[in-house]
This record gives sequence, structure tokens and C-alpha cells, in this order.
Amino acid sequence: MRRIGFLCTYTPLALIDAAGFAPYRILPVTEAPERAGLLLHDNMCPHVKRVLDRLLDEDLPELAGLVVMNSCDAMRRLADAIAQARPELPLAMVDLPTVRGTTAESWLTQELGKLASILEHWSGQPLTPEAVLASADRLGLLHERLEAARAHALARAGGPAAFQELLNRCVSRSFDESLAELASIEGEAGGPAAGVPVFVFGNVLPDPEAFALFERCGVRVVGDDLCTGTRQLAPTPLAPGGLLLRLLARELLARPACARTFSAQEPHAFAGALARTAREAGAWGVVAHVAKFCDPYLARLPALRERLELAGLPLLVLEGDCTLRSLGQHATRIEAFAEMLAEMQP
Amino acid sequence: MMKPYFDGLVASIQERIDAEPDGPIARKRLTLETARIGSRLFAGDGTVAWCGVLAPFDLLHAMGVDSCFVEFVGAVLASTGGVEPFLEEAEAAGYATDSCSYHRAVTGAALQGLMPVPDFLIATSSPCSGGLAVLENLAALFERDLFVIQVPPFASEASVAWLADQLRDMARFVADHTGRELDEERLSAAIDATNRARALMVELYEIARAVPSPARPRDLVNLGIVFALLMGTEHGVEVARIYRDELKARADAGVAGTPGEAVRLLWMQNRIQFKHPLERLLSDELGAAVVVDELNDVLWDPIDPDRPFEGMARRILSIPLVASARERIDNMKRLAREYRVDGVLNPCQWGCRQGAGIRGLVESGMGDVGVPVLNLEVDCVDPRSFAEGQLRTRLEAFVEMLRDSPRPDWR
Repeated sequence: MRRIGFLCTYTPLALIDAAGFAPYRILPVTEAPERAGLLLHDNMCPHVKRVLDRLLDEDLPELAGLVVMNSCDAMRRLADAIAQARPELPLAMVDLPTVRGTTAESWLTQELGKLASILEHWSGQPLTPEAVLASADRLGLLHERLEAARAHALARAGGPAAFQELLNRCVSRSFDESLAELASIEGEAGGPAAGVPVFVFGNVLPDPEAFALFERCGVRVVGDDLCTGTRQLAPTPLAPGGLLLRLLARELLARPACARTFSAQEPHAFAGALARTAREAGAWGVVAHVAKFCDPYLARLPALRERLELAGLPLLVLEGDCTLRSLGQHATRIEAFAEMLAEMQP
Repeated sequence: MMKPYFDGLVASIQERIDAEPDGPIARKRLTLETARIGSRLFAGDGTVAWCGVLAPFDLLHAMGVDSCFVEFVGAVLASTGGVEPFLEEAEAAGYATDSCSYHRAVTGAALQGLMPVPDFLIATSSPCSGGLAVLENLAALFERDLFVIQVPPFASEASVAWLADQLRDMARFVADHTGRELDEERLSAAIDATNRARALMVELYEIARAVPSPARPRDLVNLGIVFALLMGTEHGVEVARIYRDELKARADAGVAGTPGEAVRLLWMQNRIQFKHPLERLLSDELGAAVVVDELNDVLWDPIDPDRPFEGMARRILSIPLVASARERIDNMKRLAREYRVDGVLNPCQWGCRQGAGIRGLVESGMGDVGVPVLNLEVDCVDPRSFAEGQLRTRLEAFVEMLRDSPRPDWR
């Protein structure tokens, strides 16, 4: 099955699947040499730079195209760099509104219509409403099964790292292949998870070893809000009979907001929502892992810290480059954080 | 602190203009009018809006709102030489030093209670995610309502229509907060002023292309960015007219703004906002004239008074920072050709994902037309990391190289 690359959790995966492609998330995990600095400044987010390194080094399976959501400055710059460095790679950019609302929904609907036409062109096949509905259903089923697997994984030792491996596989192949694996896996054995319960928040942290490191540092991940975690493969339920792309736009904009999407009517609403989610997950504290130079996240960390303090949830901020290489340097801080939380157990 | 500063600036500039009425006053008039805006913003007796860079200031003027993009405050603080405490305040509050110093400066000022509480805020999703975030943060800090103009990253009939609809919604939002409906006559007058200023700007930029450049080193610094604040006002028309007339007189007389102009440069995006010796080095010691700032440009058609919102939307979408890097670089190539430029200076503002972010693409793109680019590692607002010696050496070497190298075809 031909693959379409994507980078952002707001990507309308149901459309890609319905067009007959396997959505392939280009994760910033690579041994490719670091060459992105030739095109983009070093102050650009490491997620984007490592993805560009993969593209420059052709450290990717063959792609029939690439869909870039206009989610932040860094993503736009990545699209700019790809257009220059890999002009032969078909590229579609979808503008993604920053705030919700009726006009934003209308605009995204138009953008999805453009993407649908591009996907039809790339596939040579018409994209039918029936196919989109079926894909949305399969995505919903995939999400449901992944959530069941996540719940099982988080409860046992070694589970979070194993689940991240599974998740990384599921975001880089067809829905059907992922569903087939999920149907066949059995709950792996393992002792109960141990450590201080924390909630992990941030953007890009796909390395399973990172979760193993958390565990070694005495931390038990009880939930996450990560671009490479629970925000991936979020369902976009659609109903027949309506304006499908409109519904899809609504679903995409209605999903739990990451830092780049916010409510103009309720600034910093995400901070309160995160505090509630972390509390409901039973966390004693929050670890924020933020890619360096990520403006949407870095600019909102002070507000997040303030809100979490009000909720009695200590916050540990780790800035990194999406790899264990940088996270490993923070091991002592994570251990100290775990000890502090253990001492002040709520 | 800020109100007395702007009031003092207004008084001293006015004094200097009065003392030398026949001298060159264009730059002084620009400073005077922007200082007056600052004075009104900090006076505490009008309707005030803090905004994003691309907000339609003529529409806001027409609705009786004193408004300004927040980066302007960062630039002013830097120009006074007293920005460090505000940067430190923001950093102590947890704002990353890797973020844009324009935004850290204004955040620090707000945290110190130096910024007047606005009536509302208007953010623009372009040019940057950081600018959008700082408006959200300020809205939360001031507990004031925020309107977000979402700027599509390309111009098309659909994107113009969407943006125009948002501007109509913005006018509704402003009316709801001020209790003053949009007066069609005032809007028409503002659009008329905008169009007259636009025509004068087109003329003055054409005159500025002359060889040697008639513009003195500081004349056109940041003009395109700052002038947006004067759009829709008679003061703006007057400033543009004075600029046009002064440049024309000097061009007609063959007077070089930089005596001995030997090298012509394009300055990308923003200037360095605090006092520094590099511009004097270029003009006085190296014979290098910065003949054009990238954003000193008019890329939009006159606004149709019968369709003002569509016209303002087209203007927003014409700003090079909105477009893709390829379009932005193509625009710089055009400027380089029109102004017969030898080289480009790109101040790589730490924390900026725009001009700094695409520096490799700019180097490569300008290289296609034989125009070398010098990337300066400099923060335009934060003087704490200003490495004068290194920058001086690099500029000297760059200009020397340009003097000794084959010039682009247009030279």
C-alpha cells in the first residue's frame, strides 16, 4: 500500500486512508546526519529539524506524498525547506485555524476539500463519501482498541515503553494492519506498575526508551497529553447524510487542544483542562516535556505552572530535542522530582 | 515611565522640527507621530487595543481606537537603552530565553505593570506563533477580551473572503466593546487616507531606488513596519508626503544619502532596535548604504472604498512574512534587482522563526541571482549578547568581499 507522510496529530487521517493510502507519521527518530541546519536556523524546533534530516537523507520508505498541517511557524518552515530540498516529493499544505468557531470550521472545510482533491489526484481514484465514512469508523475502532491496550499497558511494569512502541507502529502503517495487530495481541504479563504517578504533557516524545527511563527514575506514567501519545489517532466520528468534510473539520477542531490551538474567549483554558485531566488520572505531579524552541508550548509554560500550582500539582519542565540523548541528561532531575512527590504524597 | 517618555519625545522632536523647519524632517515627523501614538496609548483616557503585527490599524483608527502592535513596545524599550530589566522580569517568570526578545520585553513590561490595561486585544496568527501566544498571555494577564484574526498563509479569492469576513467580525467585536458602531463615513475617510498614503509610499520607494540612494542611513529604517500604525490618518498622509518630497529633492539634486556610496545593501526584516555602532560603521567607514529594508514595500493595490474589508484583507495577505519562503525570497530578488543591490544583511534575531528561521533558504535563493547574504547572529532587542567586535569584523569582511567580487548583472 502506498504511503502518505504526515507530521501533526491534526492531520485528517480518515481522508488519507479513504483515498487508499497508508498514513505514515514521520517521527523524528533517526540516525541520519544532522544537516537541517543548512536550510533552517539552529533555533528551529528539533522535531522539524530531525524530520528534515530524514527527508534529506532519504531515511524514509517511499512516499506518494506528504501532508503538512500549517500548525506553527516551524511546520511552515519545514514545508518551505522540503519544497526546496525535495521538489520531487508531492506536498500538500493544509491551513489549520488557531481558534475554533464557525468561520474557522468553514475555512477548514474548504481546506479539507482541497486536500481531498489532491489525494484523489495522487491516488488516481475518486474519494467517495462511503470510503471516508468507513475510514472514520476504522479510525474510531483503532482508537478504541488502542485505548484498551494503553489502559492495560499503563498498569504494568514496562508497559508504557512497550505501548509507545506499539503506538509508533500504528501511526506508520495502514489502519487495517494496525487493527490486525491489535486483534492478535494478548495482554502481556508483567508485574504491576510501580513508582510515583505522574502525568506527562508536551509535544514530541516518541522514543519508547524515554518511558523506560521515567520508570527507572521512579516515575509511573498514568496518562499523557503528547503529540506522540494520546493525541495521535484520535477518532473523528462522522455520520452519513451530513456534509462530511464539514463534520470532519468540526471534529478536528473539537479535539482536546494542544498549545497551538486555543480559545480566544477563554485564554489559557488548556492549563485548567490539563490540571483536571492529570488529577483524574491520579497523578501527583506533571512532567512537561517540551521540544526546544517550540514557541506555542514555551510561551504558555508559565501559565501552566501557575494553574497546576493552584491544583496542587508540582510541575517538572524538561526541554529537549525529542530524543533520549537529551532526556537522559535530565535523569537526576526526574529522580529528584519523584522523591519530592513521594515525600509530599497527597 | 512610558507616558513621560513618549511625552518627552514628542516635545523634544517638535522642538527640533521647529528649530530647523527647512532641514530634513521626514524621519523626525515619523518619530513624532509614532511617539504621539505611544503617548495616547499610555494616557489612560482613550480606548486602547494591544494588537498583533498585521492588525488593520486604519480600521481601528476609524473606530476611535488607539492601537499598536506589541512588538513596537519591545522595540521602544530597546531603543531607550533600558530593556534589560524587562527581559529579566519575563525570564524570571519562566519565559524561555530561546523565545523572541520583542515578546519577552513586552511581557516583562506587562508583568511590571508598565503596560496600560487595554480595553481589548486583537491578535493576528501571522507572522508568528510567538506573537499570537504573547497576545493570549496578555489577554489572560489583563483579563480582557481577545479577538484573533487568523491569517491564511496564501492569497486566493477564498482566503481574501475568509479574512475579510473576519475583519467584519472584528469590527463587530470592537463595536461591542466600545459601544460605538462602525461609522461608514469615518471608514471611507480612513480608507481614502490609506490610499493617498499608499500612493505616496509607492512614489517614495521608487525614488529611493536611485543610484546613489538619496536616503540617509537612518531615513528609511523600519519605515514599512512602523508606517502601518499611521495608516488611515491624515498624519500618515502628511508623513508620506514629506518623505516623498525630501527624497525627491535630494534625488533631483543628485545628493547621495551615504556619501561615497560604493556598496548597496538590502536589510532583511527588522533592524537592530537598541543603539549600536554597526550602521555608522557601514555608512561612515565602509561606504556601504542600506538602500532598502525588506518590508519597505507596497505590494497591495489601492483599497476599493466600496469593498474596504476585502481590500484590507488583500493588504494583509500581501505582506511577505505571510507567504511561503519561496515567495518571500522571490520578492527579495525583485527588490535586489529594483534597488540594484550588491548584498543582503540578515539579522538572525534569536527566537525568530521567520527571517532567521529560513536563513539557509535565503542564502541559497539569493545566491541564484548572484547576491551574497551575510547572516548576523544578533538579537535585535536584547543587547546583552551583542558581540560588537565579531559583528564589526564580519561586516568589514563582507563589504570587502562585495567590493572585490563581480557585481550582480544589474550593477
